[in-house]
Amino acid sequence: MTAVWVRIDMNDQVDRRFDIGVALVLIVIAAVAIWQAADLPPGTFEPLGSARVPQMTAGLIILLALWVIIRAMLRDDGTSDVEHAGAARAGIVAGLTVLYVAALHFRITTFAIITTVFLTATIFVLVRFDVARLPVILLVAAITGFGCQYLFTRVFVVDLPGL
Amino acid sequence: MDGLLLGLSIVFTPWAFFYCVLGTVLGIAVGAIPGLTGAMLIALTLPLTYYMTPTDAVVLLIAMYVGAITGGLITATLFRMPGTPSNVMTTFDGYPMAKAGRPGRALGLGISASFVGGIVSWFFLFLLAKPLSIWATRFGPFEYFTLILMAMVLIASVSQGSLVKGLIAGLLGMLASMPGVDPSAGQPRLTFDWYMLNGGLKLLPVLIGVFAVSQIISDILEIGRPMERISASTRGLLMTLRDWKKSAANMLRSSLIGTWVGILPGVGASIGSVIAYTTTKNLSKTPENFGKGAEEGIIASEAANNATVGGALVPLIAMGIPGSVIDAILIGALMIHSIQPGPTLFLTNYDVVWAMIAACLVANVLMYAIMLGSVGWVAKLAQLPRTFLLPVIIVFCVVGSFGLDNTMFDVWVMLIFGVIGFLLERAKYPLGPFVIGFVLAPLMEEKLRSGLMMTAGSIEPIYTRPLPLLFLGVAIILLVWPLIGEWRRRKQAS
Repeated sequence: MTAVWVRIDMNDQVDRRFDIGVALVLIVIAAVAIWQAADLPPGTFEPLGSARVPQMTAGLIILLALWVIIRAMLRDDGTSDVEHAGAARAGIVAGLTVLYVAALHFRITTFAIITTVFLTATIFVLVRFDVARLPVILLVAAITGFGCQYLFTRVFVVDLPGL
Repeated sequence: MDGLLLGLSIVFTPWAFFYCVLGTVLGIAVGAIPGLTGAMLIALTLPLTYYMTPTDAVVLLIAMYVGAITGGLITATLFRMPGTPSNVMTTFDGYPMAKAGRPGRALGLGISASFVGGIVSWFFLFLLAKPLSIWATRFGPFEYFTLILMAMVLIASVSQGSLVKGLIAGLLGMLASMPGVDPSAGQPRLTFDWYMLNGGLKLLPVLIGVFAVSQIISDILEIGRPMERISASTRGLLMTLRDWKKSAANMLRSSLIGTWVGILPGVGASIGSVIAYTTTKNLSKTPENFGKGAEEGIIASEAANNATVGGALVPLIAMGIPGSVIDAILIGALMIHSIQPGPTLFLTNYDVVWAMIAACLVANVLMYAIMLGSVGWVAKLAQLPRTFLLPVIIVFCVVGSFGLDNTMFDVWVMLIFGVIGFLLERAKYPLGPFVIGFVLAPLMEEKLRSGLMMTAGSIEPIYTRPLPLLFLGVAIILLVWPLIGEWRRRKQAS
């Protein structure tokens, strides 16, 4: 078991500001949960009621997240292994994904067309705007988009988002 | 034995057998593609199982589970890139051995060890699941509550990274399961007066978000990093009788370690493989060879990680407690088919539970045959361009989340949890406790509150009954032990 326990106590070298930032987000989420549960009535047949368990859970999250923040402030800074180019790519893909889901939500057009456009744009970003690969990308995107629409609506008989 | 025969007769019906083969092949394929995991595959497949019979669904998912754990050894050996997290230890010796011109031998040892690990753990699954479930039917609410509490602490304490972050991840998963109508009192809570939240956050979008979307974001960050590659060779793939004899003790020991680790609630294949590898290294006459292409290292890692599959199914089938993250997803699959996991599973869904056990056995045999016959082809899958693959998986994530209730709300939930999962993982919070907390929290709260109703608000049974006291004691030890370890290390250092 030695190796396992060594892993438990190893100091995770995360970028300090990022570590503190995530812990703060968790504290905010937990605080919102405590606030939301505050108005719930007490239990009728047992002492806990609906509020106590979420409040205790959120309270523990806050305590432990504070511990993470204190530990992060006391230790040396870690390093981030993420390249800026990679982060930018991930950011663009995340943005495109949100637009894709929004387009499906508001039923702008059919699932097949929205998906084809999304896949073309996303793959084009991931291949670093290599224009020479655009025909292949379009082909793959169209096959996937229209193929999925056919497969899900005709074979599996599943509803799809979009028009 | 009748149950096993029933299970085998179900698995060998044409459709179920087709799903078993399909699941094993897909599992191996996904395991062999770095960045894709078994959890991701199973979460994305869940929506398609709505339209299957419960037995076909569990056969497919369990076959995927077995395949995915094994497939990862190919990339671990040939690309020094574990296909799944549980194959990390295999890279230490598999890759150096392949680099030294013996890739076939390294793969052959890994495949054979995986097969033995799977079969040994299946034997324990067959042997223990029913007696344990009969024993567990005697559990009252406080026994269940403290067992889940112990499982949660165990999951957090042995997850990769710090104990505190493991606990936070588990608690956050619990909190995420609480919005919606409180099942004990029928009172809406944490809904922000928004009707869409009255039904709570569903397991599937949360799972797909946490495991698939967050993984995709991480993979996109890694695109462009060069991979070291060695061509697959089938020379030396089959072990000789002499090899089997030489490795038998190691295979058996590592399989037993893997099975035991799998049985411990929430402790996954990665930990099993680490413990077996370390134990084998400590017992080896040539520990200096470990990390440089030691055959014993590959065998230990692969036998143990495959053995966790059968082991982890034991608490799932016997008590409804997931033995690993994938088991948490399997619990979700059972619930989707209106099957309540727990000790009464053998009584209420006899056919499903034996189909699960039989599928585990058949999938292991299929895995061995498929891996030996097609390892060269499977290795080529790892070269699929991720630039094309990842966006297509995003589309499947969207369809999978939407398909649950035909609502875009679930798709937005999936995206939000994808971001949460990504942030947690980058900040080194383990995701396993999050998902298991999400699955177990409703049951844990329900048991605690029904126990309190029975005792008019007293928690006395927790410290007066032997089992709750035992479970609570273990939970406390698991919490305190790492702190003592750190204190002792500091004392020694000073």
